[in-house]
Amino acid sequence: MSLGMEKRGYAIKIMKNKVYDLLKIGKRIDERSLDQLREIKIVTRVVEKADGSALVSLGKTKILTGIKVEVGSPYPDRPNEGVFTVNAELLPLASKSFEPGPPDERAIELSRIVDRCIRESRAIDLEKLVLIEGQKVYMLYIDCYVLDYDGNYFDAAVLSAVAALMSGSLPVYRVIDGRVELAPNDRMKIPLRTPPVSVTMGLIGDKIVVDPLPTEEEIADTLVTIGIDSDNVVAAIQKSSPGLLPVSMLKEMIKLSLVKSQEIRAKLLEAVGNGR
Amino acid sequence: MIYFTENELVIPGQLLADNGRRNGFGTYVRHGKIYASTTGLARVVNGVVRVIPVSGRYKPQRGDKVVGIVSDIKPNAVEVDISGELTAVLKPSERESTPLMIDIGDCVYAEVKTTGIRGTVLSNEGLQRITSGLLVTINPAKVPRLIGKKGSMVQILRKESGCDFWVGRNGLVVVSGPNPSSEFAAVSAINLIEREAHIPGLTERVIQLLRKLRGGGSGQA
Amino acid sequence: MVKPKLIDENGLRIDGRRPDELRKIRMEVGVLEKTDGSAYIEVGGTRIYAGVLGPREVHPKHLELPDRGILNCRYHMASFSVDERKPLGMTRREIELSKVLREALETVVFLDEFPRMMVDIFIEVIQADGGTRTAGITAASLALADAGIPMADMIAATAVGKVDGTLVLDINEVEDKYGEADMPVAMAPHLDSIVLLQLNGRMTSGEIEKGLEMAQNAIKKIHAMQVEALKHRYRIEPEGMET
Repeated sequence: MSLGMEKRGYAIKIMKNKVYDLLKIGKRIDERSLDQLREIKIVTRVVEKADGSALVSLGKTKILTGIKVEVGSPYPDRPNEGVFTVNAELLPLASKSFEPGPPDERAIELSRIVDRCIRESRAIDLEKLVLIEGQKVYMLYIDCYVLDYDGNYFDAAVLSAVAALMSGSLPVYRVIDGRVELAPNDRMKIPLRTPPVSVTMGLIGDKIVVDPLPTEEEIADTLVTIGIDSDNVVAAIQKSSPGLLPVSMLKEMIKLSLVKSQEIRAKLLEAVGNGR
Repeated sequence: MIYFTENELVIPGQLLADNGRRNGFGTYVRHGKIYASTTGLARVVNGVVRVIPVSGRYKPQRGDKVVGIVSDIKPNAVEVDISGELTAVLKPSERESTPLMIDIGDCVYAEVKTTGIRGTVLSNEGLQRITSGLLVTINPAKVPRLIGKKGSMVQILRKESGCDFWVGRNGLVVVSGPNPSSEFAAVSAINLIEREAHIPGLTERVIQLLRKLRGGGSGQA
Repeated sequence: MVKPKLIDENGLRIDGRRPDELRKIRMEVGVLEKTDGSAYIEVGGTRIYAGVLGPREVHPKHLELPDRGILNCRYHMASFSVDERKPLGMTRREIELSKVLREALETVVFLDEFPRMMVDIFIEVIQADGGTRTAGITAASLALADAGIPMADMIAATAVGKVDGTLVLDINEVEDKYGEADMPVAMAPHLDSIVLLQLNGRMTSGEIEKGLEMAQNAIKKIHAMQVEALKHRYRIEPEGMET
């Protein structure tokens, strides 16, 4: 069962007040409480050809992230750091509201939010990805595919990207006479510092709902995604919907996200294992 | 000769019958033999071989009552979204002097007047405009279970939840009640019916759930 | 790159299979929530999701046909599905395969039963190890059946190859890369007809005939697995079955 209908161009007038009325008595349309996350399932190493991969379900939302590693040049202004890029695709089979074609603004925004969470939390130890300073470094391509969309692809994407990094591995290269050579059959862990997680919330009136459903995303006054590193410091924020966000509400959201991030991180560590 | 058994799932291309029987929905004929064209359960009813599809996709039939959202108003017709992928229309009648008082985004409950290759038309007669309520989407295949034999299940839902229900054959259902708590109870009951339609003793479980949720009282946060 | 020996002294292939042996196949129907029909398939290391949306209204509207429906098919590979990362966007190969697969599926779908509507088929390859178009169409057929799209028959497929002079069934990636020929075949088993056929490489007409025979036998087995997968999906008494 789902509430409301998939994204249409017109608002569903009769719904908005009703959803809020339910929130006032502490209930959501899928019987969760306001700050309750849906069930999280994380499976790693699902694609052997990828250097790292993870399939994450957040409720019915499903995202598959794969990592491919290549050797290339560093950015000119960062000669002693490896490189990573994040791409996201909203596959058309995930939702009737996703069209086939090049990534649209939603896909680009998603990829940049995931990138920000990983980059600003300094999750990847980029300095350990250098082979020849200024010339040859590891390049990590992190590609997220939304396979099934039932709200909140943000948190599911961040989780699957991080789980893929934590469970993935790099081919080993040795530097011999200024040349980079692949050491076959040798692998090493991706050097990580901290696994960031994100918490996405919707604001409906004066109520905050965590891990919103599509109907909640549509009805919400606005959506906010907050990325948090393992020192419980906020590393990224994105307000990803038009609408007013009162400052007091944002403060509430930050507090709530710090609490919820512990829960998500615990799930992540459980799935990926301590030693990775 | 019939080539299937009563509870066997048939798949497209499967031979069902030969010897010149009549073929109906979900089948096709080739060289005088009847084959399944859809996945489902095959049946012979009044000498006609047909397949009841497993997929719950809604196909409008004349006389169906449906719930829809007004999606566009054009000079000659009002477009009504009845499933997120099917649009029906309301045509203003020439005899009507006042236009239908309808806005984009309104929720309506109407009967299917005609349907076919030119699209689906809803009847203006008996059209209800639903002003407020929670809109729920369920698998259209479960609607008969939600309604029950001769409306028995939906009657129980109305009585035990205290809410009004508009059940569309297209899988859209609107629930409206005196307070959020009873609406929540109604929505939970619909959720239960959709999930467990095939498990016996459903009616009892629905009643128990509704009593439990309503017994908690209204207005409790 | 050194070409490996593809058939050893015992006549076994690089992964230990006999020439007429299929790889391990796993199929599951109804794996995604937002599609109208879906399936997942594994053939050896090849892993594919197939999803169907529709029938639904045609967008853009001017493309709709008054007397029949439209079938769209998109064959797409994830960037990490192959050894060398595939950049984003559709490659020429994906565009060609999308067309060939659509035409094969169009052969069996009863388009006149959904005029002015369209059905979208999405084939997403998440790992490629040879035979992606044949595994893809096998999964797409399951997804169409799951979505209740009216069809004359299911479609099952496999690829026959020639490696080190020997005809082999269900080639993997290495055999595809280093072999002399590969021939993907898709058939509608009840109709006993071919709906997709391609040949890349050199084969004599005798080899083609023998290859088709091998493919047909394999396709019968693959089709039986499709039936099992559909039955498993709907094993609980389906509701709404009032007559």
